[in-house]
Amino acid sequence: MAEDPESSLQLPPSTAAEGEGPTEGSPETVTPEPPSSAAVSPGTEEPVGDTKKKIDILLKAVGDTPIMKTKKWAVERTRTIQGLIDFIKKFLKLVASEQLFIYVNQSFAPSPDQEVGTLYECFGSDGKLVLHYCKSQAWG
Amino acid sequence: MEEDEFFGEKTFQHDCAEFIKHSQQIGDGWEWRTSKDSSDGYMCKTHLQIKSGTTVSHLGTSALVQTCLPMEEALEPPLDDFELTETATATEVIKYEYHVLYSCSYQVPVLYFRASFLDGRPLTLKDIWEGVHECYRMRLLQGPWDTITQQEHPILGQPFFVLHPCKTNEFMTPVVKNSRKINRNVNYITSWLSIVGPAVGLNVPLSYAGAASQDE
Repeated sequence: MAEDPESSLQLPPSTAAEGEGPTEGSPETVTPEPPSSAAVSPGTEEPVGDTKKKIDILLKAVGDTPIMKTKKWAVERTRTIQGLIDFIKKFLKLVASEQLFIYVNQSFAPSPDQEVGTLYECFGSDGKLVLHYCKSQAWG
Repeated sequence: MEEDEFFGEKTFQHDCAEFIKHSQQIGDGWEWRTSKDSSDGYMCKTHLQIKSGTTVSHLGTSALVQTCLPMEEALEPPLDDFELTETATATEVIKYEYHVLYSCSYQVPVLYFRASFLDGRPLTLKDIWEGVHECYRMRLLQGPWDTITQQEHPILGQPFFVLHPCKTNEFMTPVVKNSRKINRNVNYITSWLSIVGPAVGLNVPLSYAGAASQDE
């Protein structure tokens, strides 16, 4: 479950239109990536069988947290919350002493080892999972 | 339920009650206890954990699998009570206790916890850290003594470790403010516990997230 975040997260955002199901010929589709590659990539929707390997996540900042220029990401279902936190921290260039929390339903912090795929099943709607993130110096 | 500028004791008790309601629905084991001498009360949970080398198996219902998916799509049958997820080899059973009390001086909830082996030997803070999720370890190991202290439980009078509440407002305020902005009632206890819990090895099942805010 613990993948190396460096090699599996990529920058280009998902700009796919909302909605589930295969999107052939979607105007904003970037070149499809082979299924075995990166955990985060442009949001081409290529369902494998009945389940998509990646899910769309929309990241929203809470409070004084810096807003990410790219908000929508396609993320592998098995990516953990901790993996996502590490990614956002790097993306926002936070220092080690700063904590970042991710919330579902704008109120609940899933445990660090929770997989985003599960969160998508429980809280996703309109083909995406909305997660709020908040920077804080919780301890120290 | 009114959201005051601060988190008052009434709100604390109310939110704990709601939290416990959900806990009962999913068998998560939280209870409310009152002190004999006053109307003070606190929320507590005890759970047993088997530790074997680097793997940890939990005894008890796996609420995570049970409740967050629609009935028709349940991934797997719920674990039976006391069914182990993996066979443990060299094992130790550890009893963890978590207590949630209200701090009048900080006006926030405070997490008290302790752990012991079944024969009563208490675990040291260092032992407890081995159950703490990696992502918190690095930060906390830099100075757990700044953030975790051993104190006397205000009601039981026994020594517990305490996650210091001085920064609680800092990370809870954005959540509370945001909830008011979108006109949604957020259960402070649920939100707070979901954040601090993992830092001390306490799992708060995902199904609380659906109950954490009432909007639907």
